[in-house]
Formats: sequence, C-alpha cells, structure tokens
Amino acid sequence: MKTERQANIRLNEDPREILGVPPDAGDERIREAYLSKVKENPPDRAPAAFERIRDAYEVLRDPRRRALHMFLSADPHAPLLSLLPASKQERKFTGPEPWLAVLREK
Amino acid sequence: MRVKSNKETKLPHPPVRGTGATVPVPQEEEVRDLLAKGKAKPAVELAKEIHKRCGWPESEALLVDAYAARIQSLWKTGLQEEAKALFELVHQRYSCAAARLREVGVLVRASDGNLEELLRPLNDPALPQEIRRTIEKAIGRHVFDLSALAECAALPLDHALRTAAAALVRAFAAVTTGPIEEATLVLPEVSHRGPLASWKILLCAIAYFYRQDDAACEKCLKTVDPDSAPARLIPALRTMLRARTDGRLAAAADSLVARVCGSKVSLERSLQALDSAFKTRDQGKILPEIQRAMTTCEVAYPQLVERLRQHISVRALQLELPTKKVRAALGGASTKNAYFWRLYARSLENSREPVGPVTCALWEQFRRHAVAEGWFGENGPEAAALYLHMAVLLLEVPVDTLEELESNFAEQFSGFQAFYEDQPPAIRAVEAKYKKRDLYFLSPSKLFERACSIDPHREAFEQWLNWARQESDWRVADYVAESWHRAIPNHSEPLLYLMESAEKRAALTKATAFLEEAQKLDAVNPEVRRAAFRLLIAQAGRHLRQRKLHLVEQDLAALEALPQAQVGDRPAFLVALRWACQVIRKDARMGSSFLSQIVHLLGSAAAATLACENAGAFGGLTPADFESHLPQKVSLDLSDSLVSATARVCGLGDDVGATFTIPTAWHDRLLQELTNARGRLEDRQLEMLGKAALRTNQTELAYAASVAGLEMGGDAEARFLLLRARALPEWEFERRNDCIAAAVELGRRRRDTSVINEAVELRRGRRNAKRNFFDWLDFEDWHDFSMTTEQMQAVLQREKHSPTFPTDRSDPFRVSFSRETMFLDDEDLENDEDLENDDEPFTLEDMARLAAEMGHARGRRQKRARRDLPGQGDLF
Repeated sequence: MKTERQANIRLNEDPREILGVPPDAGDERIREAYLSKVKENPPDRAPAAFERIRDAYEVLRDPRRRALHMFLSADPHAPLLSLLPASKQERKFTGPEPWLAVLREK
Repeated sequence: MRVKSNKETKLPHPPVRGTGATVPVPQEEEVRDLLAKGKAKPAVELAKEIHKRCGWPESEALLVDAYAARIQSLWKTGLQEEAKALFELVHQRYSCAAARLREVGVLVRASDGNLEELLRPLNDPALPQEIRRTIEKAIGRHVFDLSALAECAALPLDHALRTAAAALVRAFAAVTTGPIEEATLVLPEVSHRGPLASWKILLCAIAYFYRQDDAACEKCLKTVDPDSAPARLIPALRTMLRARTDGRLAAAADSLVARVCGSKVSLERSLQALDSAFKTRDQGKILPEIQRAMTTCEVAYPQLVERLRQHISVRALQLELPTKKVRAALGGASTKNAYFWRLYARSLENSREPVGPVTCALWEQFRRHAVAEGWFGENGPEAAALYLHMAVLLLEVPVDTLEELESNFAEQFSGFQAFYEDQPPAIRAVEAKYKKRDLYFLSPSKLFERACSIDPHREAFEQWLNWARQESDWRVADYVAESWHRAIPNHSEPLLYLMESAEKRAALTKATAFLEEAQKLDAVNPEVRRAAFRLLIAQAGRHLRQRKLHLVEQDLAALEALPQAQVGDRPAFLVALRWACQVIRKDARMGSSFLSQIVHLLGSAAAATLACENAGAFGGLTPADFESHLPQKVSLDLSDSLVSATARVCGLGDDVGATFTIPTAWHDRLLQELTNARGRLEDRQLEMLGKAALRTNQTELAYAASVAGLEMGGDAEARFLLLRARALPEWEFERRNDCIAAAVELGRRRRDTSVINEAVELRRGRRNAKRNFFDWLDFEDWHDFSMTTEQMQAVLQREKHSPTFPTDRSDPFRVSFSRETMFLDDEDLENDEDLENDDEPFTLEDMARLAAEMGHARGRRQKRARRDLPGQGDLF
C-alpha cells in the first residue's frame, strides 16, 4: 500500500546541496539531478545515501514543504562554525622551514 | 678583610690513614635523605652548612651532589637559564664538580645547542650506561635541529645517530614538500627504540595529514612521546586537523597553520571561542571575541563576513547586549536583508516566550525582503506557506494572552525604522515601499485568508476552519467553510460543516440543501452518510415538534431505508420516535407495541423507558404527555444493571445527535451501581452517561463516571479529565483548570483535536457565561493551557487517586506538585491570624486578598520584563 512518507532530512541540511543543484534550479533541473544522483547511489548498493537523496528530493518537489524548509532551516543557535563550508580543507606543502621554525621556537 | 676567615671554626680532618675508606661526613645521611625525597633546596642549604663546618673534600663532594640535584630540579621546572647559571657557578668554584656534574652537564649543554659537548662522550666505549642513557634522553628531548645532529663532528661520520638524523632530515624535507611514496618513510636507519624514534612517528603523522587521513594522523600523534622534541609540532598539527587546542598557538605555530591551511583554521578557532563566549552571556568576554572573529574572518574568509555579522547581531539582540559596543566590535551594522529577518524571527520563535505578534512582525519583514530579493513571488506558494506559518504561531498563544499582546503591540509598535539606519539604499527601499501601516499579521483570520486565497488546499482550510469554530460567532466559521467550498468545490468537508451549522440553528432546509450537495460529491463517504442520518433524525424531531406526523412517517421511512440506520442501537431510536408519534395520536395499543419492540431491541425495560422518554423530549413532548404510555415505575431485577442500560441509551443519544438526560430519581441507584460496575462499561458510553448526568445537574454521578473512566486508562483519559472538570463543584476552580490543562496536553500528545477543541470551548463557555463569585476568582486566575509532561502526569495521577466527590469546602484539595499550590498550605493557615478559627473568610475584601495570595503562591508564569519592541531602541 502506498503511504505518504515524511522526509527526514535534518533542518540544517540543504536539500539543494544534497542533490547538487543551484538555488535557482527549477523543477526540471531538480528532477534531473535527483535521477542522476539515484543512478550514482542505487538503493541496493548505498541505501543510506539513497534515502538521503530521496528525502532531499521530496522536500524540494513539494512547494509547501520546500517553503517550510526554507523558513525553518535558519538556525540562529547553530554553532558559528557551521557557517563555514564543509568542504575538505586545503593543505599546502610548504617545505620544511615553517615546520622547523615551530620546533625552534622557545 | 672582606671575607671573614672561618678556619678557626672548621673541624679538623680525621686522620684515616692507609684504609682508603672515605671519611664519614657528619649529617651526610640527612642530606642524602633530603635528596632522595626530591628536596634539593634544603639539601643544598644543609650541605652548605656542613661543608662550611668541615671543609673536607668529602663534604665538598656532598655539596656538589646536592647542587647537581638542585640544577636538575630547576631544569625540570623549566628554569633552564637559572639551572645553567648555577651549573657554571658550581663548575668554577669546586674542584670535584667536573666529575660529579657530568650527568647534569649533559642537560645543560644540550640546551645550549652545544651538540659536540653533549655527544662527544658517546665516543667513549667505557661510558657508563647511566650516562649514555642520559645523553640519549637529552637528544630525544632537546635536539630540535636534526641537521646539526647529522653534521655533528664530535661523532664519526658513520655513527648511527648521524645516519639516522640525516635520513630524517631528508624525509622531513620530502614529506613537507610534496606527496611521497610509502617507502620514503620506512627509514630503517632510525631505530624505533632510539632517541629519534618520535621523529619518525611525527613524519608519518605529517604524511597522513597531507593525505587527508586525519584519523591515522591523530593515531600517530598519540604515539609521539609528549616530552620529545618533535612533540612541539603536535598542537599545530591538531589545530590543522580541526581538533580543539587548549590556549592559543605560539607565533611560529600560528604562521605554520596559516601557511598550510590558509587562515581558515584560525577562523574556526575564533568562531569556537566566540560560541563559548556567547554561552557565558558575559559581555566582557563576548565583545573581544566578536572583534577577534570579525578580524580573522575578514582575512580568512571575506565572503563570509556579512553572514557572520548577521548571526552575531541576532545572538546579541537575544542577549540584549549594548548596541553601540556590539556594532563597534562588528565593524558596522549587519545587513537587514531577508536572511537577517528570517534568522531573527527564528531566534524569537525558539525563545519560548509568548511573543507571537513580534515574531509575526519579523516574519512579515522577512517576507517583504524575500519578495524583493527574489526568494519567492508575492503570491507564490512560499508566501502562502509563510502566512500559514504565522497564523499557526499566533494560535499557539492562549487566546486571552494573544489579545493582550496584540493590543500592546498595536499600541507600541511603530515599525522597524531603527534597524534601517546605515543600511544600503536597496535595503532601505524595500522598507520605504511599505508606507502604510498594515498589522494584518496580528490576525489569524487575515493570515489564514491570505494563505488560502494564494494556495488553497485542504490542510490550510482545515486549520482555518478549526480556528474559526472556536469563535463565538457562528458566521465566522460559516464564512470560512463557504470560502473553502468556493475555492475547492469538490471537497465535501465544508459542505458537511455548513450542514451541521445550519442544523444547529434549526435551518433544516438549508442543511438539507448542503447535504444533498455533499451527497452529489461523495455519497459513499462515511461522514456524508452519517450526516445524512443525523439530519434526517433532526428533521423528524422537528416534524414531531410541529406535530406533522405524516411528515414524521415519511422521515422515518426514509431513515429506515438508509443502511446506516440499521447500525447498533439506532433501530431502537427510530422505533422510539414511532412510539412518540403514537403518544401524540394517543394510541396506547400501538404505543405499547412499540415499547415492547424497544425493550426487545435494547434488552432492558429501563433502557427502553429512558429511550422513550428522551425520544419524547426530542419530539417536544412533556413528561405529562407520555407518562400514561410508560410504566410508572421501572422494575429492575437485582441482576439487571440500571447503569449499563442508562449508559447504553446515553451512547445512543450521542450517536443519533440528540441530547439525552437521566431521571434524577435514578441518581442513587446509578451512583451505587457505577461504583460496582466499573470495567463493564464502554468508555464512550461512560462519558455520555456523565454528560447526560450533568445536564440535570447530577454532578456527583458525572464525577463517579469520570472516576470509572479514569480507572480504565487508555486513550480516553483526556475525555474523562474534561468530564471531571465539568463535574467538579464551582469552588474547585483551580483543580478544574488543572484538569482542563492536563486534558489539552494529553490531547496534544495524542493528536486528538476534538479534545483540545472541547477544552477550549469549555473554558470559553465558562468565561462567556454569566459569572458568579467563583467565576470572578477563576477569571482573575486565568492561565494558559501549557503544562509539562511531569505536571500533566501529576494531575492525571492525582485525579485517578481521587475517587470521592468533593463536598467539604473547608477541606480544600491539595496538590503535591509544584506548578500549582492551589490553597494556602497548613503552615500558612496556622500562621495567618486573620484566618485562624475561621473556615470561610467570606468578606469580599478577604476573598480578594486570598485570591491575590493564591495567585502568588501558585507560582504563575512570571511576566517577563517588557522588552522594547523591535524598532524602539538602538539596534545593530
């Protein structure tokens, strides 16, 4: 029996980010991104990722839920650190000198 | 002479010849004891005294040993300079020092960077193991310059230490210059037990760090000897791994972090520090951290500056920090765009304070800016969702509190002008566009209407209609239902509502028209079918009252043709209506026949009598009209249950939409049976029995029904709490309020909106009714329905354990939980001279005073200090 399923992505997660679509993406673009992500993460091989992608799509495809998510996703009490993008940080090779300077510093 | 000779005080050296034995120095043991206990300073003092007295080579040796311990102790406590100075002094002054300070000398030279001095002894094959170990330990701890070690001329070129150091230098350069092969870090030259082992582990950590394998890196860092020289890099590496560090990094480490990771890590640390400062709520700690975070952000992440400023602004607004100082620390005002207003509105929403109107005003600001910034269209579904969200926010505030808040807000609110100072023209232009003051956001009705006109859907209309049903004027809800029907004509719900509303006003023609329309839409809908049955019943009742018996016959024929009329006890009620017809026709024979049928259908003479009485009353008959058609006295066998029969008929009354009552003459018997019949009745029947009892003021009976119902537990608990609230005597107003509040809370948890609506109506009905003296107290003590789980459970347990109907006003009910202290406790009563020996302080002044005390004692929610409405003061 088909039942309506509640999407359970967290409020502080951006469903557009999960699907990798820009903020101004329309319905068509969102659907394309969803299908492509599902291909990359089929439910039998990556069930957790698939769930997340489906939840994100369910939020985005329903304008009312999309709107509510837009209003409620702002979290004024979230750690300020969460404002920083979560991408892997860059780690530059500097040569030994700056490292040795730390060792020499008294 | 500047130095006083002390030759005369010195002890003569004891003549010990030819034995080779050392001369025992007085108190030497005492000095050695102190040294063994790690008390180097007193040991030196004592040794100095001894040497002063003796002046022997042995006493000098003892003194030098004490100094050696002292130098080591200074070294360990980080006073390397002092240790070094003392070492030099002792070394110069005492001839035996060179040999005895050899071990401690290793430490001093190592710190000096004088590797040659440190390492040279290692060339000696006869070097005692103890000294060798000390030297190696010193290398591990104090040699920071591997190149110097690799090139140290004091050791032969192929010495293991030099080879290992050279390999480490090469690997260090490789690992910090670019990606490396695994083989680079194998380093067979470096023994894992040697003094340079920690360097090898550090290099692995750095390699993992660059490979973004943070877990492996951290694992390596944990195995690095924390006292070793390479451990100096651990705090910087941990910072780069985003782990917390205690305190700030030294300059070189900071520079390393910035060069390797950019200044992002520094920003992370600043943000963490600012979050911690906000937690303290201490302005003195917050303001410097704001400034630091903003400065770091400008360097590390300029694109984040504005967003950070907005978040900080909102937090500062919440903490009511001084505007000018915060603004100065922020380096300017934050931009008041849609993002800011959304954040601010959310922060107020989360504050758990009754700030409905203010929050809605903030959402309105968000809407204006969001539309202007293109987040969504003015008439888009997002705008509708926002209106709905605002309406729901207002509904969460208790009605009376909302009215007060709204009027205060409307009086004091003058807009958000203060927020727009120092804002860019584009932001100011948005605000300037809305010149006309429109406080539509204070009205749930207007918000619902906007939401439903933009995006009409079932959930929105349902919420609107639920709200409207609570209004005392029926036209409000009818308007909503009509709007719903106009917007979505294929929904049957508004038609059913309009039908019900018309039926309540006895506008049966209108009700029938609505029903027919609903039937056209969805004839098989159970709600429509049920409504059709009830409407026909109502119509039959009206025709009975009008004595249009031929129409009643038609109605009954139509009713009997409905499949839903054959469900449960409904056939019995239809027969009871036919019986009423015969009463009007004065046909005793037919009446008696119908009565027998009812007895057969309900299985009880008492139930049949009650059904007939109520059907008669439903048809406008008086007891005088039908008394000759009913047995004068209901005969009951002992095995018959009057309470079961009554409950069954009351349930039937609810089912057919008729208002049933119970004869007061049955009260005692019912009360007695109810006490013994617990567990044998259905909860719905019990509830209806209680409600029917209330209609004839049989509150004790209703109370007993609530006792039986609460004992049953389960989902109906909330309903029986409401029944309890209705059944309580007037003077138990506090207890009644508790029961209603607990019922609302239970209803919320079980998503039973009918319970919540009934509770609201109960309170509203009480408040709108003509007040007596106790209602006046009740009114003054009005409180909202909010209750914690613990409080709700406490009320439920208290009511479950209160089986006796309260009759004695001088024995007021007491509660054991903290939310309400309904009456003054014993101690208060004893201490109150005015109340002593006086059960009822019934002068109006006394009562008013008592009410005030009670209000205080109950610990009602403190009204928070009224804060300025937004836009009234300085803002960030």
